[in-house]
Amino acid sequence: MASGERKPPDDAQNRFQRQVSIMDSSTLLLSLIIFTPTFGALALWLFDRKAEESMRYCALVFTAITFVLTLFLLGEFDRDDPGIQPVRIQVNEVSAEEPEPEYERLETYHVAAEGEVLDGEKLTAGQIVSGSKVYDESEVQRGVVHEWIGQWNINYTLGYDGISVPLVLLTSFISLLSLLAAWNIKKHVRGFLILFLLLESGMLGVFLSLDFFLFYVFWEVMLLPMYFLIGIWGGPRKEYAAIKFFLYTLVGSVLMLIAMLMVYYNSGQSFDLQFLARVGQGLEEGLGFSQSIQIAAFILLFIGFAIKIPSFPFHTWLPDAHVEAPTPISMILAGVLLKMGGYGILRIAFPLCPVGAQYAAWVLALIGAFSIIYGAFAAMAQTDFKRLVAYSSVSHMGYVLLGIAVWKIGESTGSAAVGKEYWLMGMNGAMFQMLAHGVSSAGMFFMVGVIYDRVHHRDLNQFGGLMGLMPFYSGLAVGIFFAGLGLPGLCGFIGEVFVVLSTWNFSPPLAIVAAAGVILTAGYILWAIQRVFLGPEYKGPHKEDITPMNGREASIAVVLLVFAIVLGVYPESMFGLMRGSMELLVDNLDQGYQEVSRAIEKASTVMR
Amino acid sequence: MTNDDLIANLLTAAWLLPLLGFVIEVFGGYWQKSRKSKAAALMAVACIGTGFVLSTVALYLGIDWKVLFDPDNHGVVMEEIPGTFYLLGEFGPLVLSLDYYIDSLTLLMFTMVTLIATCIHVFALGYMGDELTDDHVDHEVHLSDGGHFHRPGRFYRFFSFMSLFCFSMLGLVLAGNIFQVFIFWELVGICSYLLIGFYVERKSASNAANKAFIVNRVGDFGFIIGLMVIWTSFGTFRFFDHEIDTKPVPGLFTMISRVETDDPHQDEHPAEKHGKVEKDEKENEHPEDEARHNGEEKADGSHAVGEHAVGEHHAHTMQLDVDDARSVVFLHQDKKGTRIADPVSKTEKSIPYWLLIVAGVGVFAGCIGKSAQFPLQTWLPDAMEGPTPVSALVHSATMVAAGVYLAGRFYPMFAPEVLLVIAYIGCITLFVAATIAIVATDIKRVLAYSTISQLGYMMLGIGVGGWAAGLFHLITHAFFKSLMFLASGSVIVGCHHEQEMPRMGGLWRKMPVTAFTMLVGVIAICGLAIPFSIFGAKIAFSGYHSKDAIVASSLAFMNANQIHFLLFFVPLITAGITAFYMFRLWFYTFAGTPRDQKVYDHARESPWVMTIPLIVLSFFAIFVAVGGERGPLYGLLQGSEPFHVDGGVVSVAAEGATAITMPSRRDVHAVHGQAGWYALIAAVSGAVFAYLLYGIRIIDPADIKRNFSGVHTFLVEKWRFDDLYEVMFIKPVHVIARWCTGFDRSYIDGLLHWLSRKTVDVSRWDRKFDENVIDGLVNWIAKVVFKGGRSLRHVQTGLIRQYVMFIALGVLALFVLLFVMFPA
Repeated sequence: MASGERKPPDDAQNRFQRQVSIMDSSTLLLSLIIFTPTFGALALWLFDRKAEESMRYCALVFTAITFVLTLFLLGEFDRDDPGIQPVRIQVNEVSAEEPEPEYERLETYHVAAEGEVLDGEKLTAGQIVSGSKVYDESEVQRGVVHEWIGQWNINYTLGYDGISVPLVLLTSFISLLSLLAAWNIKKHVRGFLILFLLLESGMLGVFLSLDFFLFYVFWEVMLLPMYFLIGIWGGPRKEYAAIKFFLYTLVGSVLMLIAMLMVYYNSGQSFDLQFLARVGQGLEEGLGFSQSIQIAAFILLFIGFAIKIPSFPFHTWLPDAHVEAPTPISMILAGVLLKMGGYGILRIAFPLCPVGAQYAAWVLALIGAFSIIYGAFAAMAQTDFKRLVAYSSVSHMGYVLLGIAVWKIGESTGSAAVGKEYWLMGMNGAMFQMLAHGVSSAGMFFMVGVIYDRVHHRDLNQFGGLMGLMPFYSGLAVGIFFAGLGLPGLCGFIGEVFVVLSTWNFSPPLAIVAAAGVILTAGYILWAIQRVFLGPEYKGPHKEDITPMNGREASIAVVLLVFAIVLGVYPESMFGLMRGSMELLVDNLDQGYQEVSRAIEKASTVMR
Repeated sequence: MTNDDLIANLLTAAWLLPLLGFVIEVFGGYWQKSRKSKAAALMAVACIGTGFVLSTVALYLGIDWKVLFDPDNHGVVMEEIPGTFYLLGEFGPLVLSLDYYIDSLTLLMFTMVTLIATCIHVFALGYMGDELTDDHVDHEVHLSDGGHFHRPGRFYRFFSFMSLFCFSMLGLVLAGNIFQVFIFWELVGICSYLLIGFYVERKSASNAANKAFIVNRVGDFGFIIGLMVIWTSFGTFRFFDHEIDTKPVPGLFTMISRVETDDPHQDEHPAEKHGKVEKDEKENEHPEDEARHNGEEKADGSHAVGEHAVGEHHAHTMQLDVDDARSVVFLHQDKKGTRIADPVSKTEKSIPYWLLIVAGVGVFAGCIGKSAQFPLQTWLPDAMEGPTPVSALVHSATMVAAGVYLAGRFYPMFAPEVLLVIAYIGCITLFVAATIAIVATDIKRVLAYSTISQLGYMMLGIGVGGWAAGLFHLITHAFFKSLMFLASGSVIVGCHHEQEMPRMGGLWRKMPVTAFTMLVGVIAICGLAIPFSIFGAKIAFSGYHSKDAIVASSLAFMNANQIHFLLFFVPLITAGITAFYMFRLWFYTFAGTPRDQKVYDHARESPWVMTIPLIVLSFFAIFVAVGGERGPLYGLLQGSEPFHVDGGVVSVAAEGATAITMPSRRDVHAVHGQAGWYALIAAVSGAVFAYLLYGIRIIDPADIKRNFSGVHTFLVEKWRFDDLYEVMFIKPVHVIARWCTGFDRSYIDGLLHWLSRKTVDVSRWDRKFDENVIDGLVNWIAKVVFKGGRSLRHVQTGLIRQYVMFIALGVLALFVLLFVMFPA
């Protein structure tokens, strides 16, 4: 053991400090990020029913605090360590008086590289070096773990890495902007805000939890507020849309539940996603998911997440939900909720079932490419502005699926990935596309909402001339729509084109199909711009209500456009965050797949 | 700061200044109180003007002028300066970044673009003057109440878009990798969209803008395919060699660098495979070793870049480094031709030959879109909906020429087969466009078709191996075509937005400066010249030299590849057509008697702010190519010439009759004089014919029109491409789009609704089952029990004696039963 000389720091002062802080700082920060909105929801009960404005400000303050906390998280995040963070060490001996181990966060450390030498001693890759101390990977705890339901081995496990941090940031950011966009909701304000804040808690919980059960709980927590937000504050067909959304997602949840139980009972009853991933990748001695379990679990998980993405043919809830949902909820839906599908695939479906993932990679890529084209075609035929944007989401999220799935293994290399760097690029492109789509589609829905608030219709054929009537609005809107069109210099371009570039290595025909999307996308977006903003005069009703944007609306739009530009011009800002974790994920999957397929091969020869 | 850094910084500043200008102009312009301010425009002019000064300084610093002007010096005109701005993304060994790559072509393009853009910006100060108002009336837009459309002027918006365009265009030229070219490629596209659709109220303008962008995206689709192939096969987009983690990584041009072959009849090699020629077999037993050996000999290969090799005899044929079966091309680690070895598999890194062709054709598809080549040429004439300065800058001099620029920049990556495709596409385009130009009557549309046709010439030049000739024409064309567009703009303003030539005539008396500067442009584009040397040089305008160079290249190409004779004859004939329609335009507009007295009466010469740019541009249209192929401009271009052009290239994959030989510079030079005469004769006859029809009007054009009415209609309808595309693409796309929505509605949702109905049905059944069967059963049992109880009630009489008797009888019965069942 390389860290034999380590002595547990058990001087009195340290012990005292630990006893004072019941929760250590990282648990506190992560829990606060998740539950600050919930506290906000509770706080709203204190207000008088008529004090709507104060309630809005209260909710705004709580979302803003959450956003600031996620910025702290960004500060805490160590981009040189690709694994789950925070990294913590046990600081006490478990004894009769203190049956619970206590952990402390390692503030400064790095992960040893292959061949690194410390004080003349050669380290092995993956060891954690903190100052002069060296810990083995098994001695540190990645993420925070607290027991929740002990008898079923369910823990309150939270943690973050380069995959979740950008999405957590996106969530709190879009939530803040959506809440601002919700300022003119007049119906049952308190109820709306409470549900909104609970929804935010659920979303953040999904991105931060590392226990499958906890993940599932947050996943469901998110579902109910969304149901009511669409069902109560929605448009004319809100009941239909809400139930459709609910049932679709519930089907996905049930499939996920089955898969969850499958892996639970095949891993010696664990919900720990990090552990399950090790089992799935054949790294735990004596444990492992058989090929059939991997494939079955992957398919179940994939359908569950594909419904959320949503990809063809599980997408028809999306246009209805979007069309009926109020503007801020559409922003959340497109900006954050859809990303959970992609995140779930990256965090759960792939790491737990690499064999299943590789088995289905072709189908995934096919579905992704088909969704791109299908969504674009469907968008072109829409006459409802919001429906068009909703279908554009189907098209854009197709790139996410495609980028994740371009995992090619060759005949000659056995089971190792061929052109792994292209797959890595596809994965990164997919992640970036999620972020970019979060910004651009939230922006597009907001822009549609602004004009809908004024003229109360969304018929594309009854607009026109807005460029003359609302020049500032039109300028910003055209900018944001260009981001959706995938114009270089704006965020949509990077994700799309990186995914497409990485696809050729996987399959040239699919790459060509995906690339054809650029023509269709240009077609439907430019056509929509022409019908809405250009032309000499406005053709629809309520012309007198068309007024310039107010400061609140303008600032939301400006912020979104600025972020679209920043992401488009300097994508490394996001790639830098996720690089390490993405490389680790790809390496793990590649090696896990080889490991497991070797084991399967061995088993089958023994059987023969 | 070294000289190289200084040049890079100067160009970067020239590139970014218009972007800064754009931001200030668009916001400042929006928030300024009155629309009568020229501040934004002056800002734009200042930015691009400063850009021109910076570019000129960079050009001055970058070029070794001694080498350029010394005909005996075979040194390097300029070493390329590569570098990186910043990283876009890094995935293992794959790196995407914003780079710069500066060679003499870059410097020349920078100077040309900024100079022309400055002239056009100044011209636009006058041309767009009617936007300087708070209440602009657009007479072309009719509202539903019958009135005209009123809006605030948009002077500032025009100039901010122009600035954005300049930024994008300069970025395209400066780009150091093909991906970055693509980025700015799209950006110039969107600027073009914004500028074509500048009059957003006009349906025709927004349609034209959409068409331009979408048609370009069709080309870009091919571009992306090319990018994907390059990215996957080469693993880099950079043109230049660079280092990643101190490990040298070759750029694209090095990877694909050619190896020399001493055998000038390389094209016959496939024949020997069929046993026709056997004597060469032994000599070529080790072509790879030989190639590598030759490569080492030419260790200073890069120095060949700047050589004036005209008339020299040491040129060698260069070819791609292919394997014996000629199916793969090996990639090189350095310019010496060392092949890249894959560290894992120990094999030499290569790309299938056909894939290299796919990559080349793919990238060229982008050029087809951007440079409006056949079959994507239809967007450019419609793009004339934009204001005339836009047509001059974006749609003649710079953006549309970007396709040619890219074809030139990317030339090393093109296999000979791709070059042949380029040549044929150019050849078809130049002819089709020229024929339509004959019958067009809108002055701007004639110029638009002429632009397409001239771009076709450039593509042809590049395709037949006349690398420098194609780009030479790009530069000269930029000057005289922007001159002619501006002159047409001056005519349009002078005639109060009349664009139809049949309503003009005799205007030279009213607007002499415009007329004569236009004449300069016309003579330049037609390639008229006095073919005798005076003071050692021919008296000719710029267009003569460049077109002459292209025709010479294609003649040399035809001599080397007899089967491709059309590549020489079509452009030669079209040279005559060009002269015809250009002089037709001039005579129609300026000569003879006025056709519409009202237009003539109101016509006036434009103010100095518009005529001075005309004079400046006509100066350059005359003198920019001075000296022809021994002049400085051509020398500068040759400084960037890919070094395998010099010796000619041989196709490596083709067999027998389809073999392609690229002429060497020596071959071209040999036929130069001959080609010059042919071209001149064609041009003069075209011009004379135009003079007869429209100048002195001896022959009535209407007669010809009547006699060839079928052809005429066909040409007026632009070879019916628009109708064809409408039927072939646009309608099907909309149909498929409706299908997709229908599929969602009817099938997916239909299935869901069916499922939900069935679920409800099942639950109804469930209810019925519950209510009838289960409840029924329970009720029935209850009923039976109840009935039984009720009937037994009669037994319960309450009399003790009776009960005792029942008990006794019961006991008796039990005993009887016992004895019967278990007899002892």
